[in-house]
Amino acid sequence: MLAQQYAAIKRDLDDKGILFSFSGYLSEGILYSLGEALREKMALEEADGPTIRRVFSVFVEQMQNIIRYSAEKMSGRAGRAVELSAGMVTIGVEDGKVFIVCGNTVRNGDVPRLKQRLDHLKSLDRNGIKSYYRERLREEPDDGSRGATLGLIEIARRASDPIDYDFNAMDADRSFFCLKVRV
Amino acid sequence: MDSLTIPATGRTPGVSFDFAGGHLRMTGESYPDVVAGFFGPVFDALRGYLAHPDGGAIRFDMELLYFNSSSAKALMNIFQMLETVAKAGRPVTLTWCVEENDESMRELGEDFAEDLRHVVFRMREIPSGGSP
Repeated sequence: MLAQQYAAIKRDLDDKGILFSFSGYLSEGILYSLGEALREKMALEEADGPTIRRVFSVFVEQMQNIIRYSAEKMSGRAGRAVELSAGMVTIGVEDGKVFIVCGNTVRNGDVPRLKQRLDHLKSLDRNGIKSYYRERLREEPDDGSRGATLGLIEIARRASDPIDYDFNAMDADRSFFCLKVRV
Repeated sequence: MDSLTIPATGRTPGVSFDFAGGHLRMTGESYPDVVAGFFGPVFDALRGYLAHPDGGAIRFDMELLYFNSSSAKALMNIFQMLETVAKAGRPVTLTWCVEENDESMRELGEDFAEDLRHVVFRMREIPSGGSP
């Protein structure tokens, strides 16, 4: 029964072309380790350096978005200051392209602004994304309230197709946010 | 301070700032878990060096293979410091090294170059084969 249950989960992931999947509390340490595994896997498949870095770049920005903005966090001291952010990350291959899906809880109050930023990014073509990046690069780091963060723009820039996102309402306060990027 | 040397780690760049010789280099990759923690001391050392100009030329070799968006902001800060002294008349050359075929890094170089009026910006292609 036990093996059957988990085999079914694994089969489902395999069928979706998923290479790595992590769900739970994420940290910078997990980002680093998963990132290394991702690069090693791609290097073994003889992907070239620039392609590996493009995928890696989207992965890092997606993971850091969860670590920074997940509405489900745990922090405290366990010998040293520890902060963990709940979320999930899934990396796979679909139609010959690598995709990265990240999901995390967000507060409902933050949904409209996030939607607006993502829709704006989706509406831009390559050159539009490029000039938007340049514009945001020059602005002061703490001016995060206007427009998309540099991280989101970086993600859109490295994507080979327009980014895909969705929200799923969980309760009165929170929604589950998903962002899928093909590289 | 004559120099600042920070060895590279898996996620923080190697810094070798030879202040006496006016030759500054950054190598490796940059996606620190705490960006301010890594770049704070780098900014401080650079600010100190630039505040006491000997008038000598400065060469900055940007040899990073990868940096994340938070590091991009930090790099922008560094280049703005260099632009300020270049505007005041100190010769500064920034060499942006790009592995052949790395269009993303080339584009990023162009993004940063757009804001440099007084710093001389050069793009240099290097053979691929560095760590991915």
